[in-house]
Amino acid sequence: MKRGIFALFALVLVTSLISACGAAPQQEQAAPAAEPIVIGVPTALGSIEGADALRAVEMAVEEINAAGGVSVGDEKRPFKVVSIDTREHEAGIPVHDALAAVEKLILEEEPDAIVVGAFRSEVLMASMDLISEHKIPYITSIAMTPAFQQKITEDYDSYKYLFRNSNNAIFFTGYIIQTMNYLGQEFGFNKVYILYQDVLWATGTANGVEGWLNENGWEVVGKDAYPIGATDFSSSLTKAGEAGVQVIVPIFDMPESGILLKDARNMQPPALITGFISPAASASAWDTFEGELDGMVTFSVEVGPVPVQAVPKSVEFNTRYGEKYGADLQSKLSGHGPAPAYDSVYILADAIERAGTLDPDALVTALEATDLEGAVGRIKFSEDHQVIYGTDPKEGALGVAFQWVDGKRIPVFPEAAAEGKIALPEGLQ
Amino acid sequence: MIVSILIYGLVNSVILILTALGFSLTLGLSRVANFAHGGIYVSSGLVAWLLLRRVGLPYPLALLLTVLISGLLGALIYRLILIRVRGIELSEVIATFAVGVAILEFFRWLGFVTYEFNLPSFIPGRVDIAGVLIDYQRLFIIGVGLVLALLLWFFSHHTKIGLALRGIAQDEYTALTLGIESDWAATLSVALGSSLTAVAAVTILPLGIISINTGYDVLLIALAVAVVGGLESTVGLVVAGIVLGYAMVITSNFVGPQWMMVVYLVAIVLVLAIRPSGILGQFKELEERV
Repeated sequence: MKRGIFALFALVLVTSLISACGAAPQQEQAAPAAEPIVIGVPTALGSIEGADALRAVEMAVEEINAAGGVSVGDEKRPFKVVSIDTREHEAGIPVHDALAAVEKLILEEEPDAIVVGAFRSEVLMASMDLISEHKIPYITSIAMTPAFQQKITEDYDSYKYLFRNSNNAIFFTGYIIQTMNYLGQEFGFNKVYILYQDVLWATGTANGVEGWLNENGWEVVGKDAYPIGATDFSSSLTKAGEAGVQVIVPIFDMPESGILLKDARNMQPPALITGFISPAASASAWDTFEGELDGMVTFSVEVGPVPVQAVPKSVEFNTRYGEKYGADLQSKLSGHGPAPAYDSVYILADAIERAGTLDPDALVTALEATDLEGAVGRIKFSEDHQVIYGTDPKEGALGVAFQWVDGKRIPVFPEAAAEGKIALPEGLQ
Repeated sequence: MIVSILIYGLVNSVILILTALGFSLTLGLSRVANFAHGGIYVSSGLVAWLLLRRVGLPYPLALLLTVLISGLLGALIYRLILIRVRGIELSEVIATFAVGVAILEFFRWLGFVTYEFNLPSFIPGRVDIAGVLIDYQRLFIIGVGLVLALLLWFFSHHTKIGLALRGIAQDEYTALTLGIESDWAATLSVALGSSLTAVAAVTILPLGIISINTGYDVLLIALAVAVVGGLESTVGLVVAGIVLGYAMVITSNFVGPQWMMVVYLVAIVLVLAIRPSGILGQFKELEERV
């Protein structure tokens, strides 16, 4: 009996030790001397977007620290990154679990600012009250829902600490629509099938795209929602094939969406796939999919992972990332998140130097006046704290549509970044 | 449309049958609950991937080794854990379920979560059947599934070992008096069940990616098929697989893909409420008779 109790006690002790290690936020060694400015990164570190974003942030922090740090008034202080994994991208993780992780980071590490932010729009919306309560400048680079901006506009005084410097669903929908417009005008396509992931950002994007398509002479044969973790897309693809659609628009951020591409090869007749499938956006995807990507048009939601000559800093970012982390990780750079995450550190540094203080309200005013050249193009916030994305890198930030051709990613839209035109897959001429 | 529903429905049905075979062998045939089913399924896939991509073995050898390793894993689970709670069914379920979750989350923690973790098809390519393009892997699944179901039926009705396993399920003490050592038989049934699960995993996983979340779905699917069909009936398993498989594909086509997963969950609830012994199960009637 006694041995049993001792064994039980030992087991409980060991398990608590393991979970304590697992849950502790990771920390980097701060530079000596001046007190560091703490940057928190609470996001889905298990997702490719989240992991790459953290690496991008750490790279930017290293660069800034190596150049002497950030001037806060008279003092030069280094940045320090602390992170925590919210696991919010996984199926079955409830929002409040992710929020608990964010709160833990805030209470234990007392960050002066937060970058990268939520992966899931649901978590972003839920975090807004928490951030507002603690008054922490928050620049998000992944979650895309426009409802974020609406909330800031409705209650500016509470939510003014929150900003977004990545693309959002509205601009992204705009990119998709303009690509579809090109397809309609250039090739006369008019039948489309939309498949999307049943999450906030994808639902919003799908609805936006469907609305435009309906008003512009396209026939939307179907629009199907798939839960996170779904692995069988054959029913939608069969229906699409039978109706003879020319374009399929997938909108997914889960790794399982790659299966859609495999299944799409079974479609008779073949269709042009134009959309966002998270695993298909990185340079290494060609090998992962063993060439099945040929002809697919997808997006680098912000430039950087796909470097474009029209935005020189995007090329710099891509090259430096490869130098620091190796060619393998460079080729796996995900299509959304890393470039704005990198920029967000520079945005912060710039705002801190202009404000001369870490006071949140002063920082907010400084952030609102940002006008920087970053890896995504020109960074300027609109009144509702969203960086403006468009088609001219001299005016705003840029996302890019590219087509997979023979193992290479050829940017096809917008014009400022294009290096080629969309070519049709065989059988669809 | 009809042809494609018929064909994809059949593929889906056989996937369900294959997924449930290993689980059914252990639970139905020898009343050993191995709820680590999902964990073994995913770990088979990842072991196969590791042997193929990291160790560099030829594909067929990697698959064979995977099946053997999974069998060993099953036997280990029995010897280390199940043997201590044998007979207390609730504890068996909880313990093995915990092991299953631990295995899945262990792999997730190690980082096996991206699209990179996929198995190649046995034979790449597709073929046209009555106007529907279907890949060779799906045809393989149909073949393997039906052959294994037949083998399972033959094994459980016409071989000494199979009959011994069923004996343990029917009445353990009588089986003991007849010289069937229950621990050995149970170890074997868990090991065999795990091997069957591994075969299912390596045949089905090339269709997509080795996703950790699949581990949780697989357990539910196996449970649904086993419950609907009747716990110790192989014929019931096949019938349930076909019914559920077609129900899922029809729902997906006519109602919406999000409702596919609801189908088998609702089926569990309905069957347990209306006819707990399943379509072709006989346990309830046995108990009633005694």
